[in-house]
Amino acid sequence: MEDDHFLYALSSNNAWAGYKSHQNPHFFPKLADGQTPQILWLGCSDSRCPETTILGLQPGDVFVHRNIANIIAPTDINTSAVIEYAVAHLKVKHVVLCGHTSCGGAAAALGDSRVGGVLDTWLAPLRAVRYANKEVLDAIKDERARGTKIAELNVEAGVNVLMANVTVREAIEERGLQVHGCLFEIGCGRIRDLGLGTKGRGGLGLDGQEDVVRGRHAQIVFRGGRGEMSVK
Amino acid sequence: MLNSRVTTSLLQHPTSAAIRRAFISSSSSPSSSFLSSPFVRSGPLRFPTPTATTPSLLRHCSSDSHSSSLSSNPKSKLPNANPSSDKSTWRAMAEKDISRYLRQTHDRVFEHNRAWAAEKKKADPDFFANLSAGQTPEYLWIGCSDSRIPAEQITGLEPGDAFVHRNIANLVCNTDLNVMAVINYAVRHLKVKHIVVCGHYGCGGVKAAMSAKDLGILNPWLRNIRDVYRLHEKELDAIPNEEERYNRLVELNVIEQCKNVVKTAGVQQSYAENSFPIVHGWVFGFNDGLLRDLQIDFEGMLKDIQKIYNLTES
Repeated sequence: MEDDHFLYALSSNNAWAGYKSHQNPHFFPKLADGQTPQILWLGCSDSRCPETTILGLQPGDVFVHRNIANIIAPTDINTSAVIEYAVAHLKVKHVVLCGHTSCGGAAAALGDSRVGGVLDTWLAPLRAVRYANKEVLDAIKDERARGTKIAELNVEAGVNVLMANVTVREAIEERGLQVHGCLFEIGCGRIRDLGLGTKGRGGLGLDGQEDVVRGRHAQIVFRGGRGEMSVK
Repeated sequence: MLNSRVTTSLLQHPTSAAIRRAFISSSSSPSSSFLSSPFVRSGPLRFPTPTATTPSLLRHCSSDSHSSSLSSNPKSKLPNANPSSDKSTWRAMAEKDISRYLRQTHDRVFEHNRAWAAEKKKADPDFFANLSAGQTPEYLWIGCSDSRIPAEQITGLEPGDAFVHRNIANLVCNTDLNVMAVINYAVRHLKVKHIVVCGHYGCGGVKAAMSAKDLGILNPWLRNIRDVYRLHEKELDAIPNEEERYNRLVELNVIEQCKNVVKTAGVQQSYAENSFPIVHGWVFGFNDGLLRDLQIDFEGMLKDIQKIYNLTES
C-alpha cells in the first residue's frame, strides 16, 4: 500500500516525460544545457502552493526555495545560500517572496502553545511579527482573516530582510533587481501583489513603470502594485 | 521550429488522443505505464483518477477557459503567434517591440494563473474550498532549488499532494533549522508517508562545491558536498571520466542526505510507531526528464545509523 503512493509518482513522471518529449523532442536536451531562470521564488513548503504550476510557468523558469511559513531570517544559511546563488550567480531579475492564506505556520505563531521540536525556534521570527503587531492582529475578530493578516505582515517582514541583504542591495543598485512581496489566496487560486519591495514604500520604486518577468512560455508583468500574467 | 511547436501546443487544444498516444509511447520504461494499473482500479487510496493525473502542462493546455480567453481577446495575440516566425526572429522582436507589445496587451492580471484557477474550479467546483480546508500531503519532497525541477510538474502531483522544501543541492544538514523544521512538521504534524530526497545530474551546486573557489556565504553550505566526496573518496577517485564522477557524486550526495533524514528524531520515532515514513533517494535526469529511483535500502539504512544515532528511547 505504501509502495503504491511511491510508484504513482514515478509512473506519473514517466507519463509526463513521455508527453513532454512527444510534444517537443528538444525539451529535455535543452534543459540539460543549463538554467537561466529570471525569477527566484521564496515560498512556503505547503503542498497547496506549487509555484511553477500556479504561475503557469515551465521547468527552467523559476529558481525555488520553500520553507515552513516562507520565513526569511537574515542568518539562515540555507536561505542565504539560495539567495546568493540565484542573485549573484544566476543573476535572476526578480525575487518574489510569496506567502499564502490558511498557513499552518501562521496559525501556530498566533497560538500560545509550544509546537515542539525545532519548530518553535524556526517560527521565532513569525512570533516576533505577531508581538510587534499585537494591536492590529487583536482587532481582527475573524480567525481566518487574522491568519491572512499575519501572513501579509510576515511577507512584509521577509521583504525587509531581503532589502537589507547585501547581495540583494548590490544587485538592485547595479542592475535593477526587483523584489516583490505577494500573497497566494488558496481559496481562489490567485496571487495578490502586496506592493512591497523595490516598488513599495521606501523602496527604489519604479512607479508607473512596467516590469516584465519572462518565462519560456508565459510572462508576468508587475505594474502599479498588480501582477499581470500572459501566455506567450 | 522549436518555438512554434511550443506556441502551437499552448494555443491549441491537444486532443485526448494525442495525449493518450504520448502516454502510450512513454510506457516502454520498466515502471508501469500510465494507463495500466495501479491507476485504473478502485481502492482505499486517495489517488487521483487517471484523468486527474494528467501532467499540469496538459491541464493548462486543455483549459477551455484559457483557450477562449486567448482567442476572444485579439490583443493578447503575441508576435510569435505566427508559427512561421522562428526563434531568433521572436527574440529580436521581443527586445525591439516589447514596450509596444506591453501597451497593446491589457487585462492580463495573472491571466494564466486565473485561467488555471478557473479551470480547476470548472473541473471541481470545490477544489479551492477543499484546499483551503487544509493539507494532507502523502509526500515530503526535498529537492534542489534548480529551476528545471518543479516537483509537482515532473511527478504529475496535484496541489495538496506534496510538501516541498528546495535548497541548493538538496542538502539535509544536521544543524540547519530550516530543513529540520520542514522535516519535523512534515513527519510529526502532517504525517507524510514518504520522504523523497531528489537530486539531479548536472547539479550546479555540486559542481560549484568541487571548484577551488571562495564563494563567500556559499562556502559553509557547499562544504557539505565536499564532505560527501571525502566519505566516498576512493570510489569517486576511481572514476576517470569527469562527468561520470560528478554524476556519481550527485547520487552519493542524495544517499548521504537520505541518511541525514533518517537520523532525525521525528523519522526514527514515527517509523517505530507507525511504520512510516519511508525515505527514498531519487535522481532526475534532464536528458530524458525521467526520475531514477536509487532504491536505497531504507530499513537497512535505519538499522545502520541507529547504532550511533538512535533517538527512539523515551
